[in-house]
Amino acid sequence: MQSLYPPIVNGKAVYDLDSQKYIRVWQGPQHPGVTGNMSLELDICGDQVIKCNTHVGYLHRGFEKLMERRRYINCFPIVCRICVPEPDTNEYLFAAGMEELMGVQIPEKAMWLRALNLELSRLASFLMHLGGQSGAFGMGTVAQWTIAYRDYVLDLFEELTGARIYHMYMTPGGVRGDIPEGWIAHTHKVLDGASKLLDEIKHVMLNNAIFKQRAIGLGVITPEMVDHYGIVGPNARCAGLKRDVRKDNPYLIYDQLDFEVETETAGDAYSRTCIRWRETHQSIDLCRQILAKMPPSGAVHITLPNVLHLKIPAGQTYVRAESTRGEYGYFMVSDGSEFPRKVTVRGPSYSHAMALLEDLLVGVNIADVAGLMVSLHTYPPEIER
Amino acid sequence: MNLKDILSPLYVWKRAFEKPYSINTLSKERPGAARYRGFHKNDLDKCIGCGTCAEICQNQSIEMVPVHSAKDGDSGLRPKIDYGRCCWCALCVDICPSGSLTMSNSYIWVEEGLDRDVQETYCYIPGADQKPWDSEELGYHRPEGYELLRLERVPMPHLPAEERLESFVEMVKGYSRELAIKEADRCIQCGICTATCPAHMNIPAYIKAIREDRIAEGLKILYETNPFPGVCGRVCTRRCEDVCALSHRGEAISIRWLKRYLTDCIESKDYQGILNSEVVPNGKNIAIIGSGPGGLSAAYYLAKLGYRVEIFEKNSAAGGMLRYGIPEYRLPYASLDKDIDYILSLGVQIHYNTAVGKQVRFDDIYARFDAVFISTGLFEPFIIGIKGEDTPGVISGLKLLDDVTNGREVRLGKHVIVVGGGNVAMDAARTAKRLGSEVTVLYRRRLEDMPADREEIEEAQEEKVVFCCQAIPLEIESTSDGRLAMIWGKAEMKIVEGAKRPSPVLIEGSSERLVADTIIAAIGQGMNFSWMDGEAFARIKFGKWNIEADRWGRSSDQKVFIGGDMFNRTADAISAIADGHRSARAIDKLFNPSNE
Amino acid sequence: METLYKELKQYFDVDEFSVQKASLAFLRVPKSQLVSLLTHMKDIRGYTHLVMVTCVDYLEQDSFLLTYLLHNYSTHCDLGIQVSISRQNPVMDGIHHLWEQGRVYQRELFEMFGIDFPGSPDVHEPMILEGWQGPPPMRRDFDTKAYSEATYSHRPRDHKEPEEYMKQQLYPED
Repeated sequence: MQSLYPPIVNGKAVYDLDSQKYIRVWQGPQHPGVTGNMSLELDICGDQVIKCNTHVGYLHRGFEKLMERRRYINCFPIVCRICVPEPDTNEYLFAAGMEELMGVQIPEKAMWLRALNLELSRLASFLMHLGGQSGAFGMGTVAQWTIAYRDYVLDLFEELTGARIYHMYMTPGGVRGDIPEGWIAHTHKVLDGASKLLDEIKHVMLNNAIFKQRAIGLGVITPEMVDHYGIVGPNARCAGLKRDVRKDNPYLIYDQLDFEVETETAGDAYSRTCIRWRETHQSIDLCRQILAKMPPSGAVHITLPNVLHLKIPAGQTYVRAESTRGEYGYFMVSDGSEFPRKVTVRGPSYSHAMALLEDLLVGVNIADVAGLMVSLHTYPPEIER
Repeated sequence: MNLKDILSPLYVWKRAFEKPYSINTLSKERPGAARYRGFHKNDLDKCIGCGTCAEICQNQSIEMVPVHSAKDGDSGLRPKIDYGRCCWCALCVDICPSGSLTMSNSYIWVEEGLDRDVQETYCYIPGADQKPWDSEELGYHRPEGYELLRLERVPMPHLPAEERLESFVEMVKGYSRELAIKEADRCIQCGICTATCPAHMNIPAYIKAIREDRIAEGLKILYETNPFPGVCGRVCTRRCEDVCALSHRGEAISIRWLKRYLTDCIESKDYQGILNSEVVPNGKNIAIIGSGPGGLSAAYYLAKLGYRVEIFEKNSAAGGMLRYGIPEYRLPYASLDKDIDYILSLGVQIHYNTAVGKQVRFDDIYARFDAVFISTGLFEPFIIGIKGEDTPGVISGLKLLDDVTNGREVRLGKHVIVVGGGNVAMDAARTAKRLGSEVTVLYRRRLEDMPADREEIEEAQEEKVVFCCQAIPLEIESTSDGRLAMIWGKAEMKIVEGAKRPSPVLIEGSSERLVADTIIAAIGQGMNFSWMDGEAFARIKFGKWNIEADRWGRSSDQKVFIGGDMFNRTADAISAIADGHRSARAIDKLFNPSNE
Repeated sequence: METLYKELKQYFDVDEFSVQKASLAFLRVPKSQLVSLLTHMKDIRGYTHLVMVTCVDYLEQDSFLLTYLLHNYSTHCDLGIQVSISRQNPVMDGIHHLWEQGRVYQRELFEMFGIDFPGSPDVHEPMILEGWQGPPPMRRDFDTKAYSEATYSHRPRDHKEPEEYMKQQLYPED
């Protein structure tokens, strides 16, 4: 082991790539397990990674900058594009931040519909992740099941919001429309199917000897690392920490729902997958709960002052919500003008894919790099915004 | 590793016998959901080309292009959508003030033959360019109750009906700063109204000034096109509001009240400082006959250009119909004087009690001045043309209003009948009501045909004026106790070939009788030609009803201009103001042909 | 949060305290005391989670306002610690020794705003904008529209403003 690692001079490892002992390999930017583009610059020795550099920037569209020169209402269609598989969190947080700074309250029904939308998008995102996770360990079958099943969830979105990917449903002031006729029955059908699919995934993936062998013990996150690296969401919960924004700082109507924060203690890739598998079940359950408890009628939107020249009183706030990757946050500053002074998006992948992944990958077998990368569940667009 | 974990994945084989999820979209069409945000559709007849969709589009994917010719309330432009930019957010559908823009649930667009300009293949004008999804019912429509615009007006505080009958105090209280800003905030700044306003006032600009609380700047914008903002802010016929984009699905912006708010905010002593009208005399003299809105408007713009202006007015005060034809509760004299005083402060001179043709001869004026602007208005009441109309106790609406303005004692008696359905009739009826009479209005057509302002009719109803519609006056008789009896007949509405609206036709044999103390005829007024004699008039060509003139008010004599009610057809204050402004520019062009 | 502020006031020159909601407050601290305040918050006050670091460019005041948002998992409260630094010489002390992801934020801030953090690992390495030649793009004086107009070709746009167009059509002489 001693000879594997190069000598360190002035805090930096020094080694000669021409020595044939070390190879530099690029993984990415395209990778099927990661939704978006991100590449890992790996220095390997034999089949072990000795250094990793995460490179992002393939999806940089400058959202935060774009928002500085757009009216508030015109920011609404672009925020969802910050995270492709789970755009609703962005929509919700942007609207919530705006509403908080304006001091307006949205109708109760709108809160339920927002929560329902958030849970459905968590379900879709988890399905996509489980597929990616299995694919990263060579099980393409599960990936096909989940990606195909995600489309059924997208069908629900299409019927409810009018779009499959970028729903643009949670407008500032509420949501766009109430539930269409027949949608609830359809949703129950899809949820039941998803529940059945998850049981099959359990047989094929979580109880799979190969998967277990490869994922157990891979990329262990210890409880000490959690705060040090700013780890949130399932990645923190797999280290035994009971942290969930939905419980800790309940937003919308999450305080009226009955659920437990899922935790594991091993902190490795396998336990993270298990947590996500259970949280997918949890999302299905929450969707059912919301459908059962939601008020049957009521206003779903308030009318804001003319959005074409809407000004928001000067102020700053931070709003957060639990996405599939953990705490998602919007820091919004208004200077009282028609345009946001600054909107900072705090994506959970930011710390996971950059600082944490770079350190976790050291010493990992090159074959497990993809599995580990995917197990942190990163969506690169939210890193670079 | 245990055996269970090795066997468990074999479970996957079960799926081999299940029906696959996948569907073949190539052979089978998959329509979008009922709410799907697909390609745009636009109802071209409903669309008014206000451009709000282009305004809210964050991708600049909508451009407004000419499809029809422009007309009142419709710019003739229609949105053209660039699908290389569109992000399908549907904010354009949500905000569409007319509700014409929607989306279909189609999401597949196959275009054959890429030999055309590439841009043309993914841009189209919904509604104008035929597309397969034009007749598609499904697709995204703005959900009921979900609005990005505030469609309801900020209510204007009014005196309650009972209270306003007690006096001639102005009944509309005016917006406070907070209310005005809230109302101005509703405006979408499309500018459709500007073309309809006879004076083409820059309405979006002053509403924006109100919204941003830049009052002084707002006043400057008002005076660019209208030297009577205080008056128009109260009694304008506000055709701008009829075409307001918001009026299609909701209530129009209270443009009139917002204008009033601007003038109410600034005291008359501050006008000079804000408007800063430095006048450099240019040595030319202009005579204006009549000091109504047309005459004074011309005087204002001419004076600003440096002309020395003299006005000849037959009455003892300026304002014309604004003073003598509009009751005080609608237009307080103080507000009128505020506007007039500012115009006079520019050095405009008025000869009061000087009727042309009596105290001064038109020929003298014609000889002494470089140009003459005639705006005497219409002050000759039409007669009903029935038997007994010359009975004492039958007066004209204008006379009543004039007497009240002049403070003469008016005795109407307990019951008053007003004949007519225009604004003068309403003013006369409501004035009579304030003088303590019971008032019945007789009108030939239906209530909805009345030319009077909707608001005035409603307010008259609130004040318990009785309306008797489809009533044709037949005869006036004196009764034995010295009162008057109006004999009238019921009419039915018949559509006559070629007529624009149905005409009232007397039902054969119908005859009703209504007794009153005074009968007020207010069925319109015409031009008085009697003063127009002398050599100068010999050169001017007359039409059947009026003096012939081009759109600038130029008569056949190049130094004589006309304007106001005697020139335009609409006969309202704002048109007269616009005429005055237009003629002032034409007069200026006469002396400075190079200036534009 | 009020009590926390009062206690902090005894040790640090904190001011401009404002409570946004029950679980969120902001305060200002001088540049020199930032790292010690963050250390204090992390080690003693239980604000162990660094939520994010961000910067707002106040061009008109010639300053950058850095916000370090900390979260306390036991009270579920957030504290935004803000530092105003000069735009002319934007240098700040690093916090990468307190939180690992600090170095990532600092790399981004250097790239996007040009704020230097001496000693932060790889702080000058391009993170998102590899090959970028222009000024730090998140600064307010960088005009994205002007940049894109100068850099990319544009499809011509033939848009007519209704008000202007109606004037041309209906009353060109007035």
